[in-house]
Amino acid sequence: MKFDFAFAMEIFPQVLQGIGNTILVAIASFIGASVLGFIWEILRRSSRFVRPVAQLWIDAIRSTPVLVQLYFLFFVLPHYGIVLPAMLTGVLGISVYFSGYIAEVFKAGIDAIPRGQSEAASSLGLSRPDTIGYIIMPQMLRNIAAPLGAYSVSILKSTPYLAVLAVPEMLGSAFDVASETYRYAEPMVVAGILFLALAMIGVALVTRLERRLGLTPAKDL
Amino acid sequence: MSFVDILRGIFEGFDVTLIVTLLGLAYAIPFALVAGVLQHFSQGWLRLLVTILIEFWRSSPLIVLLYAFYYSLPAFGIYLSGIAVGAMVLGLNIGGYGSQSIRAALQALDRGQVEAGLALGLGRLDVLRLIELPQAITVMIPTFINLAIQLIKGTALVSLLTLTDMTFRAKEISQLSYDPVRIYSSLLLAYFIVCYPVTIFGRYLERRASEGRRSISEI
Amino acid sequence: MTPIHELSVHNNAQDTMQAPAIQIENLSKWYESFRALTDVNLTIAYGERIVICGPSGSGKSTLIRCINQLEVHQKGRLVVNGVTLVPGMKGLSAIRRDVGMVFQHFNLFPHLTVLDNCTLALRRVRKLDRREAEAVAHANLERVRIPEQADKYPSQLSGGQQQRVAIARALCMKPKVMLFDEPTSALDPEMINEVLDVMTLLAQDGMTMVCVTHEMGFARKVADRIVFMDQGQIVEQAPPSEFFTNPKHERAKLFLKQILH
Repeated sequence: MKFDFAFAMEIFPQVLQGIGNTILVAIASFIGASVLGFIWEILRRSSRFVRPVAQLWIDAIRSTPVLVQLYFLFFVLPHYGIVLPAMLTGVLGISVYFSGYIAEVFKAGIDAIPRGQSEAASSLGLSRPDTIGYIIMPQMLRNIAAPLGAYSVSILKSTPYLAVLAVPEMLGSAFDVASETYRYAEPMVVAGILFLALAMIGVALVTRLERRLGLTPAKDL
Repeated sequence: MSFVDILRGIFEGFDVTLIVTLLGLAYAIPFALVAGVLQHFSQGWLRLLVTILIEFWRSSPLIVLLYAFYYSLPAFGIYLSGIAVGAMVLGLNIGGYGSQSIRAALQALDRGQVEAGLALGLGRLDVLRLIELPQAITVMIPTFINLAIQLIKGTALVSLLTLTDMTFRAKEISQLSYDPVRIYSSLLLAYFIVCYPVTIFGRYLERRASEGRRSISEI
Repeated sequence: MTPIHELSVHNNAQDTMQAPAIQIENLSKWYESFRALTDVNLTIAYGERIVICGPSGSGKSTLIRCINQLEVHQKGRLVVNGVTLVPGMKGLSAIRRDVGMVFQHFNLFPHLTVLDNCTLALRRVRKLDRREAEAVAHANLERVRIPEQADKYPSQLSGGQQQRVAIARALCMKPKVMLFDEPTSALDPEMINEVLDVMTLLAQDGMTMVCVTHEMGFARKVADRIVFMDQGQIVEQAPPSEFFTNPKHERAKLFLKQILH
């Protein structure tokens, strides 16, 4: 079976139908991963006893494939009576997977703040909560903006994993076309082109947003 | 089936996981080196070409690349085994990321290093080979380890091409006996057993490298 | 706020009548096996200007950082502004707000403007409203001769300007004591004097100052007393006239020879 360019053009709109879900899943997963990652990092910085547990948890998340984590949630949650829509399971899986990486982003963002900053704050008599709220957090946000932006694109690129859970996102739409027409090459290539374009747009948007928010300082400190 | 039986069954797929990983590295390392160095040094249309190639492999979702190549190569008359396609796609995807860290490491090098090399009368290629690359590669070893872990984890995808790797074995076992909790816990554990030592090793290298740097700066 | 032109000439005899600003008795500190401070005794009166000098690693910075408990001592008694500081005590921030500190690396907050650097603690700790806080900040920026930079960010200033802002930031809290931890060591040579000039003005205003510095010219001109430290101990204390012309201790002699050529 030769590659049929006309057919590929023809199915473009059908594959594109999944784009709404793809973007929805990406945004929801990004929020989920950021929240979870922040929680892991707070736990890692809490007591001496929690720290090694949190570290092992983060390492475990990072040492297992996202595909397997998705299977795990998809097959194991219902076993315990937790029946979620496939899309929600998928968002949960991608959130958990990337939370392991985003925890590291938070860690690096906090570690990069010089010790002198909190020393200066306490020498002015600022309380611990004020030091965190006014000195540490704003600087951390600036430090994490760029890596977090990069992970948002990675998350976008991981959304097609949800096709294995039969979530109707863009790769899923491509499979629908394939199973209707018994032609796989064209839908897959079309999906590839669409995802590549989407990822490129994502990168451009993230860069622009960072600049707009002034989160990437023009002058280095 | 007991936990140990399941785990043993899953590890029957380890050889495929390992082969795809090693073949993937055989694609990733040369691609990262050549593409990273070329992108750093080339200009004009060559640079554009290299950049497009890197971005294609790096910016497309891995799973989509895998399906697109697996299904479309035969349509262009290219017949490759699942292992070959899997290793190539995984390797070049990871290699694309690797090329960026090589380029970044080269860019981060002190310009004085190149100037000192040239001033000693070394040719430009010798400066690259003897001075720049050794330093750049030392710096990027931790990144490289992380990418290797990404590659190992990525091999789970070849189960979708019906290769009998660890993930595929788990699915086979779950068809024999319906026990998702044990089977998928075992599968997570299996990958953890394979990847975690690599993580620890990478952390050790990172610590050693940063200690090395510190002792240099103290002198 | 005292106007800067009103230079009060300081009277030592009067202050010795009051309780001391800082009283340090047998202070010791160690990191694992390394002794950073050994039985340090030092009393500083209100209005006194002390310069602490000594070779690197002699414990000068550690001592000054103990005074506002950025470093915790293990042994001895430490009384600052009438409060005895106990390691691990609560309510340190109440003590710190009366002790200003200027750091070697400025430690300005990079995400805040110069003005906000100055007003943050006034608003959060002293509970002033924005208008009051900004008035205080402007007055102190004036005092360090940098009022025109109020709306800039620290990264837009030179090192000398940054350090003057750091001094203004500390002054805003109306501290009873100012600690200077090598305030000019990180500066390019041509910027050192602008910072020392501001410090000299402060001294003339009667501020109680404890300065760790290698600037012997400043020490000679401003200090009431030089404290020489070596290996975690105070080796010698003397007025500058005496310390520079006739140091008693061998290590002090050696130090002066090295630093003054």
